[in-house]
Amino acid sequence: MAKGRHWVALWLVAFLVTTWLVYARQTAAIRAARELADLRARRANLDGHRADLERRIRAAESRAVLVPRAQARLGLHLPSDSEIVLVPAPSGSR
Amino acid sequence: MARPAVRIQVVQFGVLVGLALLVGRAAQVQILHGRRWAEEAQAQRTERIVLQARRGALYDRHGTPLAVTQETYHVGIAPNELRDPVADGALISRRLGLAERTWQQALRRRYAYFAGPYSALEVQPLRSVRGVHLESVLNRFYPDPAVARATIGRLGDEGLGASGIERTLDSLLAGRSGAAVVLKDRAGREYESPARVIAPPVAGLDVVLTLDAELQEIAQRALDDALRRMDADGGDVVMLDPGTGEVLALASRQRDGSARPSAFTDTFEPGSLAKIFAAAALLSLRRVSPTDHVSGEGGKWRVLGRTITDEDPQPSLTLADAIRVSSNIAIAKFAARLTPAEQYATLRDFGFGAFTGIEFPAEATGRLRPPSEWTRPSAASLAMGYELSVTPIQVAMAYGALANDGLLLQPTLIREIRSAGGGVRYRHRPEPVRRVVSREVAVALRNLLRGVVERGTGTEAALTNFPVAAKTGTARRVVNGRYAAGEYTASFAALFPADQPQLVLVVKIDNPHKGSYFAAQTAAPVTRSMLEQALAARTVALDRARLSTAAPRAAAAPADDEGGLVPYVVPWPYQPDSAGVGPRRAVPDVAGLGMREAVRTLHRRGFRVALRGWGVTEHTWPAGGDSAAAGSMVTLFADPHAADRVRSRGAAPPRRGPRR
Repeated sequence: MAKGRHWVALWLVAFLVTTWLVYARQTAAIRAARELADLRARRANLDGHRADLERRIRAAESRAVLVPRAQARLGLHLPSDSEIVLVPAPSGSR
Repeated sequence: MARPAVRIQVVQFGVLVGLALLVGRAAQVQILHGRRWAEEAQAQRTERIVLQARRGALYDRHGTPLAVTQETYHVGIAPNELRDPVADGALISRRLGLAERTWQQALRRRYAYFAGPYSALEVQPLRSVRGVHLESVLNRFYPDPAVARATIGRLGDEGLGASGIERTLDSLLAGRSGAAVVLKDRAGREYESPARVIAPPVAGLDVVLTLDAELQEIAQRALDDALRRMDADGGDVVMLDPGTGEVLALASRQRDGSARPSAFTDTFEPGSLAKIFAAAALLSLRRVSPTDHVSGEGGKWRVLGRTITDEDPQPSLTLADAIRVSSNIAIAKFAARLTPAEQYATLRDFGFGAFTGIEFPAEATGRLRPPSEWTRPSAASLAMGYELSVTPIQVAMAYGALANDGLLLQPTLIREIRSAGGGVRYRHRPEPVRRVVSREVAVALRNLLRGVVERGTGTEAALTNFPVAAKTGTARRVVNGRYAAGEYTASFAALFPADQPQLVLVVKIDNPHKGSYFAAQTAAPVTRSMLEQALAARTVALDRARLSTAAPRAAAAPADDEGGLVPYVVPWPYQPDSAGVGPRRAVPDVAGLGMREAVRTLHRRGFRVALRGWGVTEHTWPAGGDSAAAGSMVTLFADPHAADRVRSRGAAPPRRGPRR
């Protein structure tokens, strides 16, 4: 009779341990999945932020924006070809 | 009252029946209906989803993104799940840009859905709001929607390429969708699991176009300015590299502001632009010598029942004079020395009346009738550029053949195709169509065109330091099959520089209303303006080392350093960078180097360099370690803060020498 109780207790403990392992594993997996989802969201957010900044940089450095500002604020103008001299670059260190 | 033993037996029986029912029900649930319940449980906990494939990006020739795919969101709102409908509602409607009335209507529904799509930035504050459900979707994004819009095209509602390059290359760009099972929690939130991917999505291929974003912007702005100034109905600009057939810029604009790809699809009579092709036939077949003269007929010549006039009457003209002053009478007289078959074959050889074969979903062939359909004046008309309709891209390729020593190439918009990992799957090589004229004849024709800019009708396109070869063309417009009174097409085709041209430009202005309608006063100045801007631009695909020798004044200027030229390889005869015919070699890793040192290093290895940004070198395109053809272009991306990033990636701090 006592031997039978030991077996029952052993099986019960084994069941509880297995159940706890499954529970712990599932909990960890769900937590990891949440973190993964959060990281993806953050990455998407940063990607969006980068794209927005790149678009604004592109717009800011476009000729449509730069040329009028350079003319108005700095008194610059687009050079005519007579103002452009291409000097052959020195090689120096080969 | 029954005896205790009986009562116990009744209870035992009852328990037994209960257990039997329990076991029976368990067997029914587990064995008979087991599969159905398992599926239902699976459906509640998991969901099979389609994993969208990232559509390949489109870049310009220097790596500037023209079309990229980004994650965007549809937003679903469950009003009964909101914790604070007033505060949450204010936040949601502000982020989604909803009107108060729209939000109130949404609150009355069980579930409101806003398709957007909304960017990650817009929905970021909503992620933590209970009752807000985000559905991510990949969306096409054009960083600068105005750049080459007609050429790049757009996607349709199904996410497939509907026009332009997006349509032509759809099968390459689209990739292949995958599938996965996601886990769902009690709140319905989905969690991806790497272990539950059924089929991973395969990203589309990235395509590097031949377009140069900076030249494209120059072309678009110049065309827009010209159309506004001249109050014209529309126009086109085509720029291409004659040595490779690569299209560098394509701008089209109509009066209503639309930008349909008329450079491919709309035909026009080229007028005097076509005179050079009659000259090509005459020189190739040796039907004219440099000293041959014809009479200018006082500017008016009646032949075959038709009167031909010249704007600038000359007493007598050589072939060079005929091209220089664009004499209709002289070219008609010279062309009479050709048979119809010879004249037709020459125009056909230059690519007129046929598709160019460019990778664009729509292209017109134009019209070139065979001699059997000609009338008596057809030969003279064709020599003057009438009875012939062409597209701007055909004209550009035909003039490109003159620039390319007589070899006609197939035009292309695609420079490279790369896998998502960066490996090169395809690299464009120049594709010769046919030899149209000999090298000697091509040189002679370029000299004729040079005379046009130096002393003829194209002087408005002349540059002070750089020789230009070009031809003007002013032709009456055909509207509904008839020549419309007072309506003209002004066009201009230029080779820059005149010797060893690097750039072919074609400018077409439709029906200018203000000022002169002659190409010499309309299209020619636009060409000069674009050339000046291209020369002043930093990253434009011009080989400045060769240009420096093409400019007499620059060449004569004393150099500070007499150490010679930068030892970057210029193959002779010239092979443009994308031809990639040189031996392939590894691109040195110059990340972290100062720009000057990085450029020197790349030059020493025989590469050309295009600069993007300033400061410390961040990376190159192609990347360090990749192989590329000697003489090909390497784009160097620099950033003042790149040194920190390079260090954080574990690389060495800024240094003087390259990593090999």
